Amino acid sequence: MSALALRYDLRRDGRPPVFVEVPGGATQRVRLPDSEAKARLVGAVLTTRCSAGEELELFGETVRALRRPERARLHDRIGVLTQAMGLISNLNAWENISLQAAYHGTHPVARIAKTARDALEALGADPQRFLARLPDEMDPFERKLVAFVRLLAKEPALALIDGLGEGLNREQSARAARFEAEYRARQPEGTLLFVDLAEEGSQ
Amino acid sequence: MIRALREVEGGLRLLVNVWLRMPALRRAPVRESFLRQVYFTGVTASTGVVLRASGLGALIIAFTMQVLDADTNLAVKILLWVVLREVGPLAAAMVVILRTGTAMSAELAMMRISGQTDALRRMGIEAYDYLVVPRVAGVMIATAALTCYIQFLAVAGGMILSPFVIQASFTELYTQFFDLVAPVDFAYSILKSLMFGFVIALTCCYHGLNPPAFTPNGVPQAVTRAVTQSAVAVLTINALFAYLVFGVLFFGLVRAVA
Repeated sequence: MSALALRYDLRRDGRPPVFVEVPGGATQRVRLPDSEAKARLVGAVLTTRCSAGEELELFGETVRALRRPERARLHDRIGVLTQAMGLISNLNAWENISLQAAYHGTHPVARIAKTARDALEALGADPQRFLARLPDEMDPFERKLVAFVRLLAKEPALALIDGLGEGLNREQSARAARFEAEYRARQPEGTLLFVDLAEEGSQ
Repeated sequence: MIRALREVEGGLRLLVNVWLRMPALRRAPVRESFLRQVYFTGVTASTGVVLRASGLGALIIAFTMQVLDADTNLAVKILLWVVLREVGPLAAAMVVILRTGTAMSAELAMMRISGQTDALRRMGIEAYDYLVVPRVAGVMIATAALTCYIQFLAVAGGMILSPFVIQASFTELYTQFFDLVAPVDFAYSILKSLMFGFVIALTCCYHGLNPPAFTPNGVPQAVTRAVTQSAVAVLTINALFAYLVFGVLFFGLVRAVA
C-alpha cells in the first residue's frame, strides 16, 4: 500500500495551520501544536466529517464529498482509540469488545474472541479474568487495553490512537507502547497513526 | 407549560420510534439486553414480593369480613375484583417503577451525561435500538409476568391464610373463587399490565435520555421526573381502563356482579 491513507488540512484564523499526511501501511507519530487542533483531527477521523476550515481525505477519498453510505463504508475501515475510550459502563470487557461487531454482524464472534484472547495474553493480561470485569473496576491502562482490543477486533485499515500515554504512569506507558507491535502483527499492511500534543513531545 | 408540551411531544416521538424499531430485537446484543431486562425486572423482583403478596389477599379477606361484616361470598368477590383485577397489576407496576424505573432512568441519564450514548452512536449503534427497545420490550413482558405472579400469590395466600383469621374454610373460598373467575379477568389484567410496563419503560427511558442538566445533578432530577410521571401515567391508565372496561365500552363483558 503506497497511496496516502490520510491527508488532513486545517486552517484557522490567527493560529498555526495543521497539515498531516500519512502514507498507507506506515506507522506515524504526529505532534499537533494545541489541543484544539488535536481534538479536531481526531473528531474528523472519528466521525468522517469535516467542519469549517478542515479538509480530510481518507484512502484517497475526500470525506466532505461523500454521501452517507460511502461515509459508513469508510468508517468501517477506521478504528480510533480516543482518550475518552467510549466504554459502556454496564458492559464487561468482553461485551465492550464484541458489541460493535456483534451488533452489525460484521465479524464472527469466534474470531473476535480469538483476537481478544491472543492480544490480551500478548499484552500481559489474563483473558479469563480480565474479560469479565467492568470498566469501573479497571485502572486507566486496563480501560485503554479494552478500547485497544476493541479496535483490533474491528481489523481497521487505519488505526488512530489519541494520546496513548496520557493518564498512564511510567510502567503503564511502557506496557501501552506494545500496542504498536500488536496492531502491526495483526494488520501488517495497516496504517497506524499516533496523535499527541507537541508540548508533551518536547518534555 | 412549554416544557410539559415538549415532554409530551418527545414521549410520543419515542413511542413511535420504539414501535417501529421493535425488529431490532433480532440483533444479538439487543436480544441479550432484552433478556437481561426481563431477568432484572421480573425474576429478581419476584423474590421480594412473595410475603407481601401472600399477606395482601389474607388481609383483604379478613378486613372485608371483620369490618364490613361480609359473608365468604362477598369476601371472595372482593378478592377477585380488588386483588385480581386492580391491586395485582397496580402492585406489580409500583414494584417495577420503584425498582426498575429508578435504575433504568439513572443508568440512562448517567450514560447520556458521561458521553456513552455518543460512543454508541460513533460505533454505528442507534441508542433507540440498543438502549430503549430492549428495555421497553423487557419491562412490558416482565411487568405482565410479575402481575401474574403477584395475583397468584395474593389469591392463594388469601385462601390459605384466611381460615386462620375468619370463619371460612379453604375449600369454601376455593370453590367460590373458581365459580366467579373468568378468563376475561386474566386477559384484562394482563393487557393492563402490558400497558403499564410500556408506559413505565417509555417514561423512564425518555427522562433518562433527556436529563434536565448534563451534570451529575441531572441524574437524580431525571429519576425524580421519571418516577413521578410513571406513577401518574399508571394511575391514569388504570382509571381509564377501569372506566372503559367496566363502563361504557364493554359493559356486560366483564360483570361487576357475577
